[in-house]
Amino acid sequence: MIHQIIFLYFATVILVSALLMITRRNPIHSVLFMLLLFFHIAGLFVLLNAEFLAAVQLIVYAGAILILYLFVVMLLNVDQERQSVRANRFWPWVAAFGVLIAGEILLLISRSTFPGDAGKTMATPGAGVMELGQALYTQYLVPFEIASVILLVGLIGAVMLAKKAVKE
Amino acid sequence: MNTAISISGLKALLPFLIMTAAAMVVMLGIAFRRDHRFTVLLTLAGLALGGGSLVFTPFAPDRYVTTLVLVDAFAGYYLALLFAAAFAVVCLSYSYLEIQGGHREEYYLLVLLAVLGAAVLAAATHFASFFLGIEILSVSLYGLTAYQRHRDQSVEAGVKYLILAAVSSAFILFGMALVYAEVGSMEFARIAIRAGAAGGALLGTGLVLIIVGLGFKLAVVPFHLWTPDVYEGAPAPVTAFIATVSKGAVFALVLRFFGNMDIRVGGALFLIFTIIAVASMFFGNLLALMQQNVKRVLAYSSISHIGYLLVTLLAAGPLRLNASAFYLAAYFVTTLGVFGVVTVLSTRDRDADKLDDYRGLAWRRPWLAGVFTAMLLSLAGIPLTAGFIAKFYLVAAGIGSALWLLVIVLIVNSAIGLFYYLRIIGAVYSMDGPPGPSMPISLSGSAALGGLTLALLWLGIYPGPFLALIGSLMQTAH
Repeated sequence: MIHQIIFLYFATVILVSALLMITRRNPIHSVLFMLLLFFHIAGLFVLLNAEFLAAVQLIVYAGAILILYLFVVMLLNVDQERQSVRANRFWPWVAAFGVLIAGEILLLISRSTFPGDAGKTMATPGAGVMELGQALYTQYLVPFEIASVILLVGLIGAVMLAKKAVKE
Repeated sequence: MNTAISISGLKALLPFLIMTAAAMVVMLGIAFRRDHRFTVLLTLAGLALGGGSLVFTPFAPDRYVTTLVLVDAFAGYYLALLFAAAFAVVCLSYSYLEIQGGHREEYYLLVLLAVLGAAVLAAATHFASFFLGIEILSVSLYGLTAYQRHRDQSVEAGVKYLILAAVSSAFILFGMALVYAEVGSMEFARIAIRAGAAGGALLGTGLVLIIVGLGFKLAVVPFHLWTPDVYEGAPAPVTAFIATVSKGAVFALVLRFFGNMDIRVGGALFLIFTIIAVASMFFGNLLALMQQNVKRVLAYSSISHIGYLLVTLLAAGPLRLNASAFYLAAYFVTTLGVFGVVTVLSTRDRDADKLDDYRGLAWRRPWLAGVFTAMLLSLAGIPLTAGFIAKFYLVAAGIGSALWLLVIVLIVNSAIGLFYYLRIIGAVYSMDGPPGPSMPISLSGSAALGGLTLALLWLGIYPGPFLALIGSLMQTAH
């Protein structure tokens, strides 16, 4: 019971802050709502006995990525989004389509059974870091190494696009 | 199944290790000596080494390296195809970038890394390797598409590709999460078993979302809207790369992922793929009729070609893997050839993408016009070219599984396609073109085009040995 109430609290705040994040015109406000969102997602991870993921969520997303966002926003000095029209004449159609698809997915999900419904939990309490490390360096070693290549690709691409043009 | 990587597993990963190492060597090479020719030679050496290592790679039907990568003959064939296509793209890029100014060396780094991503896709048997492969390929392509920063069109194409590829990745991820929620495994083999035996609603929703994401990458109707703009805006060799390496790798993954599933006639997946295939054929060909820009015509034509290819996914029996393998090889050769001609005709200021650039080409550059004509005829599927044999096998595979609707649509569309290919050929042989050749074609460009033409004629006139090779490779795959 208490578990459910805590879950409902986190879920509600996540939904509300996500909505506020994409509707604010001031980018700084959006980023702050995103911070709220990340904190509550970390809370959900704790509820699922995944403490390590919760810590990573806070350190990487809330700590590193968000600060980077704030820096970019401040450096580019985009404190106010340009007052352009957000909705054009297509938006009722787009919105209707989005609602339709979302309703369809919700209907399908409400009718299906999850493995977790049978009383199985996703992770055991207290365990996590060791299992994660072992899985990462044995079974998932290949994707772990490949993931580092993605960072390299992003780096090269960014440097290439941002560097100054050379004169012949 | 062993979870750790053994020495024999490392041996099976040799092509991937070589491609990664090649990217590192090229990067260090640029740091020491910034020279266009030197970088290209290093890149070509890396690709050749990667292709050569396939001879020593121990392919086996159950050669899983952990559960993520399966290095069997199927993967081997597509790896060879991808490396060969990238080799041709690099040759063409050299002649294209040589006449452009500025720093050009980083381009080849991105090409090498994109090939690595494509190779991972061709061997993936697990959601983790599937997604990482897609991401490496896409992120490299963002940079390549926008490579010519001084052209507005190139930047526009890069931004469009970035946004749509990111959205499609989000679709794929959400689909994977739903599939995992029901199946409890991310391995293709286990998902296929569950999908065959009356999968639940979550699994179905997840699969549909994955199809949406993959549809973006393959540019099939109705997920094709980015294609003409990106094809038009990207530099010509990059367009060739997107049309061949990127789509070929994703199609290999589609064959691996959905090929194991029991796609029954009348089932939901069968219906979805049939609608996508028929719509891609018709929309691709009909919209191509209305284009004036050669690159846009080729973009729409590539949409319809992927539509043809989907017939092999729906067909049953062992022939379908042979048909798709041969069709992709023929499609690679012809597409690279056509874009190769566009590449060598491009000038420093713009790509040769107007129909007027080709008017009277036959009287200025007879050899080039001959190559261009052969490639276009092959795309249309005229006898004596590779495209004809490939389409023949496609129709044979379709009839073998009694897919009458798809076969009839395919044949009708081949006739429509002939019209716009012939319109370009007509312009090439018209008498009212501008006079005189402007500049000589570089050695690497003509070498690549010559090799592609030989491959086209070989596949079209004497396909026996190649078909036998595909047959023996694909037999062990399933």
